[in-house]
Amino acid sequence: MDIKEYIASGILEEYIFDTLSPQERIDVELRLAEYPELREELNAIEDSLEGIAMATAIQPPTDLKANIMSALGDSEVGLKEENTKQKEEPKVIPMPQTNSGMWKYMVAASVTIALVTSYLAYDYHGKWKSSSDAFAQLQAQNMQMAEQYNQVNNRLDDLVADIDIISDTDFKRVNMGAVDPTQSYAASVYWNAKTDEAYLNIKQLKTLTEEQQYQLWAIVDGVPVDMGVFDFDVEGLMKMKNVQNASMFAVTIEPKGGSENPTLDLMQVAGAV
Amino acid sequence: MLIKSFTFTTNNKLTIARTLDHIEEHDLILRLKNQDKDALSYLYDKYGAALYGAAQRIVQDEDVTAEVVQDIFLKIWNKIGMYDAKKGRLFTWMLNLTRNSAIDKIRSKEIKRSAKTDSIDANVYTIDRQNSTETSVDGIGVRELMDDLVEEQRFVLLKVYFEGFSHSEIADEYDIPLGTVKSRLRSALKHLRNKVQL
Repeated sequence: MDIKEYIASGILEEYIFDTLSPQERIDVELRLAEYPELREELNAIEDSLEGIAMATAIQPPTDLKANIMSALGDSEVGLKEENTKQKEEPKVIPMPQTNSGMWKYMVAASVTIALVTSYLAYDYHGKWKSSSDAFAQLQAQNMQMAEQYNQVNNRLDDLVADIDIISDTDFKRVNMGAVDPTQSYAASVYWNAKTDEAYLNIKQLKTLTEEQQYQLWAIVDGVPVDMGVFDFDVEGLMKMKNVQNASMFAVTIEPKGGSENPTLDLMQVAGAV
Repeated sequence: MLIKSFTFTTNNKLTIARTLDHIEEHDLILRLKNQDKDALSYLYDKYGAALYGAAQRIVQDEDVTAEVVQDIFLKIWNKIGMYDAKKGRLFTWMLNLTRNSAIDKIRSKEIKRSAKTDSIDANVYTIDRQNSTETSVDGIGVRELMDDLVEEQRFVLLKVYFEGFSHSEIADEYDIPLGTVKSRLRSALKHLRNKVQL
């Protein structure tokens, strides 16, 4: 430690004027114990402080000392009386004194404990209540998360299955474009000519009413063959009926449940294999 | 006429008569701790005027000052057990008690700080003039003491010592860096050291 610098910082003066925090005081005291030079400097500062006080002293009013001494006198008499009493009856007096002091102390202590305890009880009740609210909230959140997780997980399973199909080279993708050239409707059929399996994927189709459904048709040897109905909002790949020797696929709007023959006026999309 | 000689009769094993002026501080504290009234009387004779002067310059009212000084001596009497010689001298302890008590007093009386900051020098010097006949025996008044201090140093010393400002209060109110306040106070005290060396 640079003692000169430490002294020059003025911290010893602060120590003397008692303007340091308790922690800073302790720090200064430790250093004072360690470095005699600091103790010397501290003495010098105390000297000058005392010197200033002496040099700037003002004579107090003459009765001040008498007032102080008589104020002391009272407390001293009390003290002396106590002393004599204790000497005269050493076995008796200390007990009640201790007791009354003890009682006061105990009453004070129990009141303090009661106050502290009630405060703590109140405080803990509040904390418990807010914890229990928070817990219920977390539980609800947890359930919601689990639900969402299941949804996502199912969706993921579906997608994985879909990708298996899409990436299977045995499946041929047949794109169906809009029949009405002003529309941008589109859908595809993934068809496996070896196994006859077929899947539908909607890219964009218009919204239907509750009474309507889409119906997928395959054209086999020039004749439309029903491949099943589907709702306008199916996601991912939708398994349709198996079909052989399809040359074309088409989607029409039909009454809910489908029709035996396609309503050609309402054909939405179509595509050749 | 006051207690001219003093015999250590209590716990102390010393039996030599000594003049009060030479009582060692250590012995004095022991006697105070033993609730020796003569010791307090001695303390008052030696330091009463110094503490009165310090308090007077802070509260600037004779009645309040007397109140403060009386409180302080009663506090010394009752709280001497709290004094720790390792932490500083008895006088430093008493002076701090006095300054703190005087500051508390004026703050509790809601004396506006601004009212007295207007002209500290004037106030401090006025007191000296008013009490000129009573000021200390060696004839050094505050003015003489402070005169050859650099203005900035004098300002900080007056604020801290005579007005009870804390270092950070000065720094805040007068926009002086805290470090500067500390070093100015230090220089001022250092400068005065030679002048007032006991």
